Amino acid sequence: MKRKRLSTAELNAAARDYEGPYKPYDLVKELCIAVVVVGALALLLTIFFSSPDEPPSTIAQWAHQLPADFVTTAVSELDGTSDTAQYGPPYNNGPSAQFAWILHPQAWLGVSHPINTAEDYVYEPLASIPGDPPLRAATATYKAASSKNQTTWTTNYTNALAKATVGPGDTLKVATGNYGPVPKMMDALLALAQSGGLDGALLTSSQFYQTDYTKPLLFMADGSLLADRAQAQHLLGGQWGMMNETGSYPGQVWLWLYTFWYQIPPWSTSANGDLLVFLVMGVLSIALVLIPFIPGLRDIPRWLPLYRLIWRDHYREARLAASRPPAGGGGTGGGGGPPEPSGAAAA
Amino acid sequence: MSGGRNWTVRLREAGVRAMPPEKLLPDGQPVYMSSWIYLFGVLTIAALVIIIGSGVILGLKGPAWWHYTGIGHFFNSVHLWAVELFFFFMVIHLWGKFFMVAWRGGRARTWMSGAIAFLIAIPCAFTGYISQQNFDAQWIATQAKDGLNSTGIGAFFNVLNFGQMYTYHVLLLPVIVVTLVAAHILLVRRSGIVPPLPLSELGIGEAASEGVAGSAA
Amino acid sequence: MSLAAIVNLNHPATYVHWHFFDMSVSNIVVIVLMIIVFFAAILLPFPGSRRRSES
Repeated sequence: MKRKRLSTAELNAAARDYEGPYKPYDLVKELCIAVVVVGALALLLTIFFSSPDEPPSTIAQWAHQLPADFVTTAVSELDGTSDTAQYGPPYNNGPSAQFAWILHPQAWLGVSHPINTAEDYVYEPLASIPGDPPLRAATATYKAASSKNQTTWTTNYTNALAKATVGPGDTLKVATGNYGPVPKMMDALLALAQSGGLDGALLTSSQFYQTDYTKPLLFMADGSLLADRAQAQHLLGGQWGMMNETGSYPGQVWLWLYTFWYQIPPWSTSANGDLLVFLVMGVLSIALVLIPFIPGLRDIPRWLPLYRLIWRDHYREARLAASRPPAGGGGTGGGGGPPEPSGAAAA
Repeated sequence: MSGGRNWTVRLREAGVRAMPPEKLLPDGQPVYMSSWIYLFGVLTIAALVIIIGSGVILGLKGPAWWHYTGIGHFFNSVHLWAVELFFFFMVIHLWGKFFMVAWRGGRARTWMSGAIAFLIAIPCAFTGYISQQNFDAQWIATQAKDGLNSTGIGAFFNVLNFGQMYTYHVLLLPVIVVTLVAAHILLVRRSGIVPPLPLSELGIGEAASEGVAGSAA
Repeated sequence: MSLAAIVNLNHPATYVHWHFFDMSVSNIVVIVLMIIVFFAAILLPFPGSRRRSES
């Protein structure tokens, strides 16, 4: 018999109703068995592999392990050159907001979580240090200076920090130079951070209870500590990190396509890469939902007929029925099973 | 007494019309359902049950508990592996339904509700990862913020705000996922399991089994 | 302290690296398992499937 391909409309009409035989089945028992089986699987995996729990980094650890990196980051927060300072909405009006053609959603949604990096990461924490008149004077000197002087001091100090050495007690030794009051401020900030005081100071706000870690996390992300740990664990964006878990645990395999775009140009090289990836994945996600309506895509399973394997019993019986001479009064249903059980939905 | 102006009666009668009990909980299924692939929907639901169960226990003791007790870490591990199993079974279920062209015969909404459930499960898992309060959470949050901020979503969905993310994870997103899964199952019950593709697709004779979906009139 | 797992996965993963493809062995195992289980599910005979065959 020649194969006849039906149109989509004909396929839909043909699939609407099923008048054929049913067999008894127990859905509730099936669900209960499935819960027991999957529960046992989860238990086995837990007993064999457990789960990862790498302790979080703190600013105190950062200041002890990488004091030069900490101070370099703090200086960039002070002079507004850090990633956070340049970020744009939702933190500030910095220049790095991402866009794609006429789409500027990052800018459109505005500054909802204002962060002034110099205030939040330098001035306010330093102001919380009690009884240090030279420190107060240094801070006042810096604030009162012209922006040209400020830039000269911070640029010189940042360059010198690249060659700084770490002394006893994780202190920094920097070559002498024209840095103005910046070293005094940064020594105090480093000491505060190493004592653990900065972790707490960055969490405080006008209210007692806190759950918002935006300020400390942005500060740490501006430095190298988190990124160094991430690189060692293969979690960087360019390492397909979105899919990975710490250690040798399986990660988030379902994110393979999200992370794939970050590996290839133009997404991997563009400053607007994040927005471009989200736009592509947005379109693909909508396409996934709308597959039934997309010609070509919805026809793939007919061209790649795995359904023949899934329904091979049904097709085998249909072939047998078709090859039998018709019984008197017309063919009856092939492979007659038990009569319809009570309660079975007819269609 | 007909529905009339009684909303309760009208709602009940509409519900029973749309979903009679025998349709909601049938005790039979079509004979063409003879493949292991048909189990992956219920396996996905079972994994979701384990996720919610272990999640409830984690929630009872608070988010820091599992870092410093063995039993807490145990339930955290069960929760994590149940999530891996959930996505494992769900994707195989999706592949099976795709290759069965399961959206035929008015079942497009079934496919769509399932696909949307998958897409919502991803941020649900994501908010869980950033609620772990460990290094992985710090890293994922500080990285993900860039993607979400670029789309403007970061203006009202702050992945660095633990309190907000934890609430999304244990309440808001699971409610949406469970609602979508329930809608998905009700749609399956309403339309019935999709029949096999017609015999004409395979060139099997036109004197096909009566009652099995064949060439349309 | 957590109960020790039978298999300790708390060490850096092994990665398969080819051009820009870079995936952990653990993730590859999961993906390969999914493909194997999918094909097993549609290929393995289902109990009772021969019951209704005509003799």
